[in-house]
Amino acid sequence: MTSTITYDDKSVRRFMIASIFWGIIGMLVGVVIATQLSWWQMNGKFLEWITFGAIKAEGVSFLTFGRLRPLHTNAVIFAFVGNMMFAGIYYSTQRLCKTRTASDLLSNIHFWGWQLIIVAAAITLPAGLTRSKEYAELIWPINIAVVLMWVVFAVNFFWTLIKRNEPSLYVALWFYIATIVTVAMLYIVNHLSLPTSLIHSYPIFGGLQDGLVQWWYGHNAVAFFLTTPILGIMYYFLPKAANRPVYSYRLSIIHFWSLVFIYIWAGPHHLLNTDLPRWLQMLGMLFSLMLWAPSWGGMLNGLLTLRGAWDKLRTDPVIKFFAAGVTFYGMATFEGPLLSIRPVNAISHYTDWTIGHVHSGALGWNGFMAAGLFYWLAPRLWKTKLWSTALANMHFWVGTVGILIYIAAMWCAGIMQALMLNQFAEGGTTLKYEFMETLDSIQIFYILRSFGGLLYLIGFILCAYNIWKTARSGVAHDESVEVTLLEKKQKDGMTWGESIFNDPLAHIFLAMTFAILWFFLPPHADKAALLVALLLSYKVYTAFRADKAGWTNWHERLIENYLPFTVLVFVAVAIGGAVQIIPTLIVNRAKNIEGRLQELYTPLELAGRDIYVSEGCYNCHSQMIRTLVPEVMRYGRAGVVDDYSHLGESLFDHPYQWGSKRTGPDLAREGGPIAKDPAGNPYKYMRVGKRGNDWHYNHLLDPRAITNNSNMPSYPWLFEKDTDIKSLPKKIAVQSMLGVPWPAMNQHEIRDMALVQADEIASSLVGAVTLPGQPELQGDELRKELAKKKVIALIAYIQKLGTYREVGDGKSKTIPLDPDSYRRVPADDAPAPGATKL
Amino acid sequence: MSQEPKRGHFAKEEGEIILREHEYDGIQEYDQKLPNWWLFTFYGAVVWFIVHWAVYYHTSTLKSDRQLVAEQLTAVQQAKAAELEKTLASLSNSVLVHEWATKPEVTAAGEAVYLQNCSACHAADFSATMNAGTVKVPLPGLPLNDGQWKFGGKPMDIFKLINEGSPPESTGHNGAKMQVWGQTLSPKQIAEVTAYLITKLPDEFKEIPKE
Repeated sequence: MTSTITYDDKSVRRFMIASIFWGIIGMLVGVVIATQLSWWQMNGKFLEWITFGAIKAEGVSFLTFGRLRPLHTNAVIFAFVGNMMFAGIYYSTQRLCKTRTASDLLSNIHFWGWQLIIVAAAITLPAGLTRSKEYAELIWPINIAVVLMWVVFAVNFFWTLIKRNEPSLYVALWFYIATIVTVAMLYIVNHLSLPTSLIHSYPIFGGLQDGLVQWWYGHNAVAFFLTTPILGIMYYFLPKAANRPVYSYRLSIIHFWSLVFIYIWAGPHHLLNTDLPRWLQMLGMLFSLMLWAPSWGGMLNGLLTLRGAWDKLRTDPVIKFFAAGVTFYGMATFEGPLLSIRPVNAISHYTDWTIGHVHSGALGWNGFMAAGLFYWLAPRLWKTKLWSTALANMHFWVGTVGILIYIAAMWCAGIMQALMLNQFAEGGTTLKYEFMETLDSIQIFYILRSFGGLLYLIGFILCAYNIWKTARSGVAHDESVEVTLLEKKQKDGMTWGESIFNDPLAHIFLAMTFAILWFFLPPHADKAALLVALLLSYKVYTAFRADKAGWTNWHERLIENYLPFTVLVFVAVAIGGAVQIIPTLIVNRAKNIEGRLQELYTPLELAGRDIYVSEGCYNCHSQMIRTLVPEVMRYGRAGVVDDYSHLGESLFDHPYQWGSKRTGPDLAREGGPIAKDPAGNPYKYMRVGKRGNDWHYNHLLDPRAITNNSNMPSYPWLFEKDTDIKSLPKKIAVQSMLGVPWPAMNQHEIRDMALVQADEIASSLVGAVTLPGQPELQGDELRKELAKKKVIALIAYIQKLGTYREVGDGKSKTIPLDPDSYRRVPADDAPAPGATKL
Repeated sequence: MSQEPKRGHFAKEEGEIILREHEYDGIQEYDQKLPNWWLFTFYGAVVWFIVHWAVYYHTSTLKSDRQLVAEQLTAVQQAKAAELEKTLASLSNSVLVHEWATKPEVTAAGEAVYLQNCSACHAADFSATMNAGTVKVPLPGLPLNDGQWKFGGKPMDIFKLINEGSPPESTGHNGAKMQVWGQTLSPKQIAEVTAYLITKLPDEFKEIPKE
């Protein structure tokens, strides 16, 4: 029986237009924040010039780097690539299923809901409302909206699969399924929080756990939001555009399953050389290396599909963009494993090399695949020809040059800064360069980077113009086709028994179980598990050789059954995270203190911490001294040879603040002990660390008064706005629920404690500073006014950073599920020679 | 493609190229053998995983990060102690005033170190104040040009103070103490800064006799 159906191409058009619109916004913000690193005035002072002095500001809160950088990342990931992905998925899924998308209502809700979320993000992030976890900054009410919209998308998608008139699922759909399932899992777990108000929450994980969950999410946001859906889009649109068969079906199968399984494990490579337990670092590094081939499987299937169509490269901009996009994908996925090797990561992490790496993926792979997709779709969606091939070619070249300048500049900046930071001075006992000197010397690359980014943005604006003219030259058109309706029994007939209890799965599952036991079993049992795993792997190999037809037929059957397929994908992606995160959650918390237990914050310090988070300080400052010699020399205290950050130092940090990039120096040892007044009596709460309160006060007001050439923004509003003391009782109550051992305090005690500490700090500043805006205030008047200001709370927090108590650690005990504790190298237990305990 | 592809589901023989029977919305798929170099890359990474993990966890040949840092930093500290000892043996109040402070290349190096590290708290003009609009506001450090030396005014006292930071019994200036500059600066650099101060504040040191 046949029937004529009309595809819902309206949704595709909408998502595409939204993607182009948000893409330009996101890239524009990117260019702006790039210039902020070269010219601090771009953080708001420039308004003074362009309005000829009508606006007076040394800095404008919602234009600072710390607040705009999350807007840039969220806009390009979720708004630009998100909408692009939805356009590609809605277009191809309907055609691959030979049916119209299941529900127009859900499509509408999905589209408008997603755009509303983006608008909400564009308002809240510059306002300083943030959770501070990268690509997961949005506040909790928006998180819930994102989850709801994702569910709407998933229901609409799977419902379409159920209604499909094509028994078997094409490889593009496998990637879409993996995307939907995995992003849901990652997003929900990494956003688990307890709200303290409508606009603020604390994540339920703290310290190491929070870091681990964050990068399990962060890395796999790259994997399952920026990679798998785009691979799916490549598998549909690239063979269509090239009019060539896909290179290899079996490569599709192998690289799909290995990619989705392995990707999840690679998250800890964002925390290499920190004090993250070594076994997690090993898993992160080694799985990243194993990821190289599966990633390149996708590149091969893309590029080799173009064999026989290379002549089109000269004439067809779509093929140009696809070929370059897939090539950049290959480059980025080669660079990724390289950067996950621990010694290489020591250089790339916290420097611009990582930023360059991300952008070769984002600009080269995502941006160019998007452009190829749009140029291919537009003529079909408006039933016309592309308005200008020449303009599209121009976009291609301007964009390519932009990317190359961008990533080359970032390579130079990252590697050069890292080498300078690690350079010993003559004599080999001190470091040669101050942090600021290294920043000065990479300025030229920062300027080049802004230029490269600007070129890329210009290219994209050309694309927008071209698509707009194309749309204007045609009429919106929804394609209709004749399809043969499929009967119910022709699809989805596999029973659960058939899909789960079968040779291929049983073999692979067993081998994998023993391989995982190898990580965790106590000494000797682990080696036995390895042996069993190796024997079972050989068994897998022989069983496959013996029954190739049986195994391939099982997979052929599996892809005719969307639900078992989806369940197996979920199992494959769930294993890695479970193995890495669950042991860390249940047994390793006590062990991970490592002899140092964080001093609890006072209420005022907590308020200061929330200001630190809200201003996005973590975008440029880390609080993590890695286990690397130059790093301990630079940031550790004199004479303490083990003064890298120990995990216990951030145990109660919700959210953790280890950071991922150092545009400024590390702050892990910025704090200090309770200070003494001039008479020699200790203050009640006031601490002073490396630098005095007045140093921080002046520095936050005008960083360049302290450090020439500093590119840190000025924070004048911290000297105008009052600290939010009122919300502290609620915040402290929530933290107590999360396991932070706050002493029992009622709201008056909390308030009084905060006021006393603020007064101590303010008193220490009277005579040394004036309040901008009220320079006439002196003495007690000044003290009272100062004590209320945000800057005082922030100073209180900074002076607390990295303070801890020594506690006995169970280092020499073996702990279940902790491979590191089995590794009994005697020297690990003994304190290092010359280690001074403070 | 030199060969004419056959239709079928899977390639079964060596070298055979199959164009799969099934088409998806007009998209066809070959079923080509996986490239050997690709397979070996994959297998190699898996083997490397097993070998690397086994060597680290089943043998004692590789050191942990903590061990490595402790060893290397201990060596650096020992070298630093030796360097300091050597420098101190050659230094005295007289040597600093009459030898180091009289060499322009030494004081120029000292000036560079001062401007890089010290002027943020003590000011380039040693007054420990900065201009905020029309008024002078104090900087975090103590002034160096007021003739007062809280922890001793002899060149060697100054050297020690810079090298070791504020003494432990000090309450600091509003709680803030000077950091241990010996961690960042070499003994030679500290002597150079001291020499620079001597040339800039000659009145303070004019009574040091030449020995």
